[in-house]
Amino acid sequence: MTETLKQVGAAAAQQNAMERGTRFLPHGSRLFTVPAGWEADMIRRDKGVLSCGSMLELEEAMRTEDAPVIFIPHDAMLTDADIEKICQRNGITKTLFKEVRT
Amino acid sequence: MTKNTPDKKDAPKADSKKPETQSILKKSIKDLELKDFDALEKPLGTASRPFPMWGPMRIENNGRTEIETVLSFIADDNEPLRIYSERPYEEVMALAYCDMPVPSMLPIFKDGIERRGDPLQRQKDILEGKQPQNENFNRTQMMIGDPGHGKSFLGAMQGRLRAKGSVEIYDCGGKNMNDLLFEMVLDFGAADALPKAIDKRLKSGALEDMSLGLLNGLPEKALTKEDGVLKGIDWAYLKTAGNDEVEKSFNILSKVSKIEGLDNAGGNALGMNSQFGALIRAFIDKREIVLDEYNKSREGSDNALQTVIQFLIGELRECTVDNPLKNKDNTSGPSSFTFKRDDMGAGFFVTFTGNKTEDGTTTRSLNKSVYDRLKPDTLPDPDVIDWQHRICQMMVGMPVSTIYSAFKDQADENPEAFGEWLLRMRETKAKVEGTPVPELQQTLLSNWKDVVQASEKLAMFYDRWATLSDAEKITTAAPDLIEEVDEEYSKKEGMSFRRIKQHLEEAQPIRAKMQPLEAPVKIDFGAWTKAPARGEGVEENPSLNYGTRLIEYIERMVYEKSGSVGKNKLYGKLTKAMEEYGLRDIALKEGARSNQKSVEESLNISAFADRDINKQANMARKIFCNFVRQMDPNIEANDDEIITPKKFADALKHVQSKETAATNELFVTNRDPEQLYAGQPLAEAIIKDAAVYVRENKQVDFDLDDLVHHDDLIASLALPTVGAKNLAAIWDQNIRPMMRDTAPDAPAADGTQPAANQNGAQQRRNDGLSMAEGTSSHGIATTSLQVLYSDDEGERAVSVHIVRNTQRDKTLVVGEKVPSKLLAAFREAGVTHVDRNDPSAQTKVEAALGDLTRGMPAVVKDHLMDAFKYRNSVQGGAEDAKPELSQVLTDPSIEMYFPKYVVKNNKPGPR
Repeated sequence: MTETLKQVGAAAAQQNAMERGTRFLPHGSRLFTVPAGWEADMIRRDKGVLSCGSMLELEEAMRTEDAPVIFIPHDAMLTDADIEKICQRNGITKTLFKEVRT
Repeated sequence: MTKNTPDKKDAPKADSKKPETQSILKKSIKDLELKDFDALEKPLGTASRPFPMWGPMRIENNGRTEIETVLSFIADDNEPLRIYSERPYEEVMALAYCDMPVPSMLPIFKDGIERRGDPLQRQKDILEGKQPQNENFNRTQMMIGDPGHGKSFLGAMQGRLRAKGSVEIYDCGGKNMNDLLFEMVLDFGAADALPKAIDKRLKSGALEDMSLGLLNGLPEKALTKEDGVLKGIDWAYLKTAGNDEVEKSFNILSKVSKIEGLDNAGGNALGMNSQFGALIRAFIDKREIVLDEYNKSREGSDNALQTVIQFLIGELRECTVDNPLKNKDNTSGPSSFTFKRDDMGAGFFVTFTGNKTEDGTTTRSLNKSVYDRLKPDTLPDPDVIDWQHRICQMMVGMPVSTIYSAFKDQADENPEAFGEWLLRMRETKAKVEGTPVPELQQTLLSNWKDVVQASEKLAMFYDRWATLSDAEKITTAAPDLIEEVDEEYSKKEGMSFRRIKQHLEEAQPIRAKMQPLEAPVKIDFGAWTKAPARGEGVEENPSLNYGTRLIEYIERMVYEKSGSVGKNKLYGKLTKAMEEYGLRDIALKEGARSNQKSVEESLNISAFADRDINKQANMARKIFCNFVRQMDPNIEANDDEIITPKKFADALKHVQSKETAATNELFVTNRDPEQLYAGQPLAEAIIKDAAVYVRENKQVDFDLDDLVHHDDLIASLALPTVGAKNLAAIWDQNIRPMMRDTAPDAPAADGTQPAANQNGAQQRRNDGLSMAEGTSSHGIATTSLQVLYSDDEGERAVSVHIVRNTQRDKTLVVGEKVPSKLLAAFREAGVTHVDRNDPSAQTKVEAALGDLTRGMPAVVKDHLMDAFKYRNSVQGGAEDAKPELSQVLTDPSIEMYFPKYVVKNNKPGPR
């Protein structure tokens, strides 16, 4: 798949996820859910996206300047409350996509 | 954590413009040079780009001047607000406008920007050889307000305006404030190897049972459990959980490390150490920090901070603090730290936030000396303008209402340009966030007037709800609620920004919903073991019923928080407020419809409402091509092969430019291959009225073959622009002239009925006529058309009945079965199509009529029946055996007399 196609695919997957509604997190961050499958794969593989499976990794991702988009796989050791807590103590706006199994 | 590494030639999206000034804020202020100021300084509030500002101002009223708080703006090229930021100018602007604090917090925002800038401005003055304008070395700001008011957001937001990195939010709640200076920490080494190893085993289920048991003994706040099972560990919290907790955790982790055999592996270091606390680290790193909920910190624990605060506010040039943890329990660490003004970084700043002391027992009153030094600003209770501001931010990502209020005249004068400007700012913010603007927000922003109108009503409603759920305020505002609303209820259920956020969140996704009681339902009693076959999916645009979902959720919450828990008076007042502020319906006392839209209507936005004709053409083309392929499965051509985007855009522009309402001209889909491939997706049609032929004593000059096919007319109603145009051109214009001798005059444009002496029968006939003509003051109308239809029974003329609510832009169409590919488009077009052959047709029509006439007097349905009878032969029985409108609309045996035929427009003749 060409880079352009990947980018288009990732943007389409993000847009689809955004249509399903958001959870507003502290400091303007937003959490979207994305079903496991091609959409989750596209977002996970998008350039510069950080994939976080634990609180330690999410904390690090929040502090990484050039990574505005964070992907949370379905088997991550993170609850929504954990995500909210970590966003609360890091004053920065990130967009988080959480993979869910339907 | 894994990161997808970008190709070198193709940098990450949000990082396409590397700021040239990335490290300037890491310099000490005294080391800044003039070129640094050129790179850092971003003016906010200039003559051409004013910035809204809220505050007291002297206003002249009838020759007297009074101080009033107003929303104005800063627009001064010489003295704008100066933000010293590493971010590119457009990002600073987009963030400042989109993340703008609520109006009542704007003065605090201004103050914060100025405090951050003052020492830098002083340095600049010195470099330019000027007398410094200020000697302000205060690097703090403190604000006190209710929980959820946005205090820590404001602190962090000002930091984010200046630097790209994250602003540390240090939760002071329950903590010893000495920890801000020196803290005991768990030391896992540079790579956090031990936590990572434990996380890995926890995730794979490979941890020993004994280890799991021990880990469950770690501080509660550091553990995440699901159904009582340990799911994750908050290592960042654990590292700095406070001296006692750190020691306890160290002992537990030492044991776990041994049990798991991790103590032998290289790199799995575990130690305990004292280190500089968060405040000193922020000072050293020259970055911002927010000390959140400062007055919830442990009583008496901030004594050592007093001299540091004196330094931070500029009273002292330097101060030294000693590490009380040094050598405790054999730990190593710094022995002291000296804060020096000369080391003060350009990016360093401290925001203190605190809750009002009424907020529970854990909130304490600070020492007088702290108040004297930090001079906290107390945030006022949110006003309607604040609620509205925050509602807009959550709905569209920017405070459209506040921006509109500040620049109202210009926005009203040029709404298109204002809308485009809003969207550009929102897109820039989205770029910073690394994602596109959500489609729902794009649609709402392109209909920004609806958003402003709806958010105002919502804000007034929430403001009322906030008052009615506040035990203190009801003593004067609603004393009859004293028995139902006490302090406990206020704390638990009082209206707040957080609750509004929850309502807006819940309204976004499209979810399964309960059907109305009278909705048709048919259970398949057979084959329970197999999953049922589902109907063809009809994808719904999320903005189409966003308003309905929001209002339904608010209604539910109103009931759950009052009526269902026995607070009946409160429930009554809240439902009354919903009506008063037009959340669901705007109805005048007389029952007539107002021109104002309800919140529900304003926020139910169809994709067809996009004013960009090219976007409309793209949507219409997609619907058209799907329709063409479904009608003839032999067509395998793709969209481009059927019709190019340009041809379709040209066709729509032609439709848009034609005035057809007065001439009853229509545009219908054109499936003639030759004409289609010549680039004509639409054909012209015209309504020919049999009554006119009779009046002029002429034979009809067309036959069945000349009629437009049912599906082509119906499909045209599913196309943006075309459908709207056609629905404006189908109304009767011939009945009233033919009845001139007896019928009263048409109503005036404002809907008022002219004849003062009308008797009841005349009035009723006039109302019915108005509904046939599409001029009723209720905004509702009905008519019938005849088109060609062909099926197994052969070709024949069939009726299509149309009932339309022009004010709510909703239409009911009753006809024959239509291609399924049109169903999604019908939703966007606000069309409910009912197949009259469907066994549930009458119930569906009844439901649709109920929705179309919602909030109107019951007599409206009678008038609709009258209007229907002008064109259709309805055999009415006795008064008690009158058929229902839903019955006649779906009855295939009802014949039209003096039909209005939809004819291909290639033959002249009387109409």
